[in-house]
Amino acid sequence: MNGVVEAAAVSKWYGEVLGLNAFTASFGKGITGLVGPNGAGKTTLFKLLIGQLHLDQGKITLLGEDPWNNVSLKRRLGYCPEQNQLYGWLTGQQFVETLLRLDGMPPAKARQEATAALKVVGLSSAAHRPTRGYSRGMRQRAKLAQALAHHPEILILDEPLSGADPAGRVHILRTISDFARDGGHVVMSTHVLYEIERVTNNIVLIHNGKAIAAGDIHAIRALIDEHPHAVRIETSKPRQLAQALARMDHVVSFEFPSADMLLVRTRKPDAFYRELPQIVADTKLEVQGLESPDDSLDAVFRYLVG
Amino acid sequence: MSISLPTYKRLELPLLGRRERVRAIIATGLKKEFRRPAAIVVTAIGAAFTTITSIVLLFFAPLFIPGQASDLSFFAVPASNGFVLFFVSLMAAVIGAGLIADDMQSMAFTLYLSRPITQTDYLLAKAAILAPLVSMVTIVPLLLTALVAALLRLVSWTIAVEAMGISLVIGGLLTLFYTAITLFLSSLTRRKGIAAAGVFAVNFGLTLPATVLANQIQNPSILYASPWNDYLAVASAGFGAAGAGIDWPAALAILLGATVLAALLTYVRMKAVEVITG
Repeated sequence: MNGVVEAAAVSKWYGEVLGLNAFTASFGKGITGLVGPNGAGKTTLFKLLIGQLHLDQGKITLLGEDPWNNVSLKRRLGYCPEQNQLYGWLTGQQFVETLLRLDGMPPAKARQEATAALKVVGLSSAAHRPTRGYSRGMRQRAKLAQALAHHPEILILDEPLSGADPAGRVHILRTISDFARDGGHVVMSTHVLYEIERVTNNIVLIHNGKAIAAGDIHAIRALIDEHPHAVRIETSKPRQLAQALARMDHVVSFEFPSADMLLVRTRKPDAFYRELPQIVADTKLEVQGLESPDDSLDAVFRYLVG
Repeated sequence: MSISLPTYKRLELPLLGRRERVRAIIATGLKKEFRRPAAIVVTAIGAAFTTITSIVLLFFAPLFIPGQASDLSFFAVPASNGFVLFFVSLMAAVIGAGLIADDMQSMAFTLYLSRPITQTDYLLAKAAILAPLVSMVTIVPLLLTALVAALLRLVSWTIAVEAMGISLVIGGLLTLFYTAITLFLSSLTRRKGIAAAGVFAVNFGLTLPATVLANQIQNPSILYASPWNDYLAVASAGFGAAGAGIDWPAALAILLGATVLAALLTYVRMKAVEVITG
């Protein structure tokens, strides 16, 4: 066992609910994407990796060490949780600084590193605003900043792109790529395969607590291309945005679930995600958030698990 | 869209020790509390009201208690000030009940524990936030009362200084008890309202029935069930005043035992807690 993450028959129960079911996988160096629908066990695996959950069966190691109650290991990892948290009255700068102080960083150094990390994620201009006023995408970037500000060896990112606007996604993916390019390891989860494809070819598919496939992304992508991919866009002008997106020939359908929401189905998700920022910029329409529901991925999982 | 970003290098940073990390949690926690008007108001009114009533009680003690000598036992009167019980409950409920429960609810706890701190560090920091605030009601008024008594020449400076020393010990005992109990209750739930209700239940839910029942059946040993009556017994003994109906060594053992037990249970609970959500 010499991977960055090694999991051997790891099981975790929440009472009678099975969070992980004999999960076995090895994550190598660089960036690994953990892909699975909501409730697949991604967050459970991450909580085990950062030592906040204790496994019921099996063995798991992070950077060769058992993570449970392993305080020294926490110096070597940066964790970005999915949920928005800590105190909303803290500014972005204070938020990152506070967490760096918990690492034992001297105040002046914490201030300097927090400023640098916020610059890396593109939040310098909002650094002195309370985080409660941040959009979801900005919060994701602030959380990413705190995860990498103490220069960890590995980043563990739970749905880092969830709810981020197109510009935010570019920043986040760039930051992750740069971190890996400089020799860091990244394990990130998503339920949108096409996003992770932009930063790595190494993926692990997780479904119902089990690793059902691992390895190169392209074979799995080919399977998914058979199913229209759904993208939910939060915008104040969904009909105008739909009109602008209609020029993409791979877009299959539009739905308007609510007054500020547009649901797009596309046969070429990679092209869609590539072209969307330009269209948004051209039309000057505001996009507050971007999410992909699970359904298209679910279809592939159903195929893979028979 | 073209964005150029700065890159970073991983560095071996000089990191400060455990004490600094705990201090960082305390600083953040105190900032959080003192942003809440309720916490400021309760602390300020609690400290002011308890201090003023203690001084008034002391001043009029010779009228209320005929034959009360101006000696150390004089200070048992302010030490048994009922407003201490009221405000310590209020402060524990308003400030202490949310210290852990809020972090669990908002999942700030997840972020705290993703850093190189232990559950012990976290608990010590939370205790260090709550205890000084509680002492604003349990210790500070007694110290100020002794000071005022000396300045007004109600007692000699020797007695006042002795009273301050005893106040520190007795008030400290009450502070530790309420800190430990409140943090324990706060660790049991994600809803601070439930923890706050627990604090009131421990205080008034035990004190009032125990006092009524003890009087009704003429059996003072029931008063051991009330932390406030245990405290009164220890305080009376400490200041050399007449007993509160129960033996102070047993009362002291109960208070200390409950404090240690609550602290241990909180530690065990936090050690085992698994951060499931988030």
